[in-house]
Amino acid sequence: MDVSTQQPVQSAVLKPGRPKTLTGDPFFRGLVLSAGVGVLLILGAVIVVMVVGGMPAFGQFGPGFLISKVWNPVTQHFGAAAPVFGTIASSVLALLIAVPLSFGTAFWLTTLAPPAASSVIGMAVQLLAAVPSIIFGMWGFFVLVPLVAHYVQPAAKALFGHVPVVSVLISGPPFGTGLFTAAVILAIMIMPSITAVMRDVFASIPSVLRESAYGLGATRWEVMRRVVLPWSRQGVVGGIVLGMGRAMGETMAVTFVIGDSNHIGWSIFAPANTIASLIALEFPESPAGSLKLASLMALGAILMAISFVTLWCSRMLLARGQNSTGKRS
Amino acid sequence: MTARRTPDSFRAARRRMADRLATLFSWCATILVVFVLGSILWTLLEKGLPGLHLSIFTKSMKAPGQNGGLANAIVGSLMQTGLAVLLGAPMGIFTGIYLAEYGSHSKLADSVRFVSDMLLSAPSILIGLFIYMILVAPFGHFSGFAGAVALAVLAMPIMVRTTEDMLRLVPLSMREAGIALGAPKWRVTCFICIRAARGGIMTGVLLAVARVAGETAPLLFTSLGNSELSFNMGREMSSLPLAIYQYAGSAYQDWVQQAWTGALLVTFGVLIINIVVRIGIRGGKA
Amino acid sequence: MSEHGVNSTLSEGAKTATAPELALQVKNLDFYYGKTHALHNISLDFPLRSVTGMIGPSGCGKSTLLRVLNRMYDLYPGQKATGEVIFDGQNILAPGVDLNLLRSRIGMVFQKPTPFPMSIYDNIAFGIRLHERVSSSEMDGRVEDALRRVALWSEVKDRLKSNATAMSGGQQQRLCIARTIATHPEVILLDEPTSALDPVSTARIEELLDELKAEFTIIMVTHNMQQAARCADQVAFFYLGDLVEIDNTDRMFTTPRERRTQDYITGRFG
Repeated sequence: MDVSTQQPVQSAVLKPGRPKTLTGDPFFRGLVLSAGVGVLLILGAVIVVMVVGGMPAFGQFGPGFLISKVWNPVTQHFGAAAPVFGTIASSVLALLIAVPLSFGTAFWLTTLAPPAASSVIGMAVQLLAAVPSIIFGMWGFFVLVPLVAHYVQPAAKALFGHVPVVSVLISGPPFGTGLFTAAVILAIMIMPSITAVMRDVFASIPSVLRESAYGLGATRWEVMRRVVLPWSRQGVVGGIVLGMGRAMGETMAVTFVIGDSNHIGWSIFAPANTIASLIALEFPESPAGSLKLASLMALGAILMAISFVTLWCSRMLLARGQNSTGKRS
Repeated sequence: MTARRTPDSFRAARRRMADRLATLFSWCATILVVFVLGSILWTLLEKGLPGLHLSIFTKSMKAPGQNGGLANAIVGSLMQTGLAVLLGAPMGIFTGIYLAEYGSHSKLADSVRFVSDMLLSAPSILIGLFIYMILVAPFGHFSGFAGAVALAVLAMPIMVRTTEDMLRLVPLSMREAGIALGAPKWRVTCFICIRAARGGIMTGVLLAVARVAGETAPLLFTSLGNSELSFNMGREMSSLPLAIYQYAGSAYQDWVQQAWTGALLVTFGVLIINIVVRIGIRGGKA
Repeated sequence: MSEHGVNSTLSEGAKTATAPELALQVKNLDFYYGKTHALHNISLDFPLRSVTGMIGPSGCGKSTLLRVLNRMYDLYPGQKATGEVIFDGQNILAPGVDLNLLRSRIGMVFQKPTPFPMSIYDNIAFGIRLHERVSSSEMDGRVEDALRRVALWSEVKDRLKSNATAMSGGQQQRLCIARTIATHPEVILLDEPTSALDPVSTARIEELLDELKAEFTIIMVTHNMQQAARCADQVAFFYLGDLVEIDNTDRMFTTPRERRTQDYITGRFG
């Protein structure tokens, strides 16, 4: 059966003058498939290299590496607590600033702005995301740091210096560099991506919903507050988590303004370090094979774990948000 | 009558107030954001333009006070970014083709897409450390090549994403028409789908260029920087972001000046690419 | 049930005396989209160099059948055909058929014009190059010939290198037909080829079909009853995955045998 059908297919179906169709299909498929697998291998290699590179530090300090606050190259004692604290503190502070800012901008872009202005300003906001991080660092260092040192912190002290709890949060000499300045820079840097996600999920609402709310006499703010936000909550949270992931991994901008101090304290104006800034600052004095380099690699592995977990969360939230709110454009 | 009307009008006033406050806040937020962008650009122009002489492009970095330029950094940036895109584009575009045309429903494709997104948002400094461990430490010296590879790893996921997205915009009927002529799938993909999506794919490549041209962190541990003009990618190599980093933190007036000028060049280069790409996208859609 | 028997005798009767040569012969075809049984035991013949019109309400399976004939359904996992489709003495549903070759011999034109994103010239050359190696002067001749056949040559001969997507819808559809006939297929499948076009373009395509049937076997799905009446030699009516009736065009539209056919033709449902 098989032979009898197969054989004529080759001979009879071929017309004279036609070369056999050469199918490059298996080859091309193999090519693109191996590129895809290559992507998997790269991430796998990054993980392996980080973990293996950090092994000596984990071996030397054990689980204590995670909770030790000491970072002392002289005594060869290294702990991750201070930079981990700095990373989380600066990112959380950045979110506190960026989320309202992004929300306000997204509200303006989707609801308040005239269409022409919306596209121009929307583009300006996205351009902000394209500015290289080192430029944010320089701008922060030369523009923002003096501002914080001379105006913001003194003003905060004058206003709240005598309020019990708050005074601790703003204590310390006015260096200008520190968690707060880093958080402001980070907020500016992550706000475009949060705004973009918010704008997309706000825009994905069926206009019937919006219009019927307006039809009931709701104000623009009420439509946003009671209709749009509940509808798009998940996507918005996903966007915020995504922004947080970006903030935690940011290096150059933070390095300029964080103050380089491995210290855990309550003051938001105090100099600190993030994992990324510590790696950038300490790496030049870490010869290959040293315990310090291993500790930096271990910190890198921790940062990788944190940022992958946040990315994974944001992806889940955004994917589910997409299912319920329809396709993102 | 009046007793009933009073609370109503009070409530209406409160609602109007809330709306006005929200509107005001929204305006302020937007203005603030635009102001910040303006401030960054203004600062760059104000501090960078005075140092923008021909010597920036013709002379290499020199000791403070010796009137150097950034030629070596510009050359290094161009070479490393160029090589990064050459290395990253084939892999990124092929992976995008795989995701869009071959593996839309498979588990493997889902994992590749997920991992590519991970790499897209992975902290760039970690990529720098990674390349240091595999391409610098084993060879005992830093190199422009290692820097380019690090940048390629960062550039690739952008191209994966845009290639996949753009290929998905190609209508199914176009593929079927190709198949119906008796074309094998790879020819349909290469000569019809990619052709149809080529504008979008180029956009992805340009965005990748814009992204990696300003990257500093991954270069710190890979190409290190070099104050001499060098075309040898096997050795330490400078780049604009590295030069900016080195100069901006220094105490010398003329170095800081050159850092600003370099920052001006990088930023406007990157922004111009972005503007061109975005206007191109909008023009293409219309 | 007994439909199969009825149909085959009918079509034999329709074509009378000289038993017509068949281009394609469908035997006991069933088709499944996953678990959905979309075509039920279809059997029909497509005589050589004739126009067969396939009509029926949306979702009746006529387009599905069309996509079986060049095995377009192979692109989609989960779609499955059983039965036989005999072409050139072989069952094209059998494994081991060279699909690229099959599709070069059974061309297809789609509902919406599908010009490739390249020049007018390259659109036609693309198909030819897939299967033949021709010199550039020969290629010029083949392109011109194909464009003349669809009466497009005079309109585009001065802009062969310009982008095909810049043409009007009717021109694009004629280009797609030219692209298909340029590879010298034996059968041309048309899936509602004029539904996206204006009346003038539609008339031109219909004229074209009349000329083409001297050389090709044409199988056309259409929503437009008048079009079927004007163009087709035989008409097949499908309903809910069944082939209800097939007959020559005149008889189909004047004295349909089946109640459902009559209802559909007279517009009682659609």
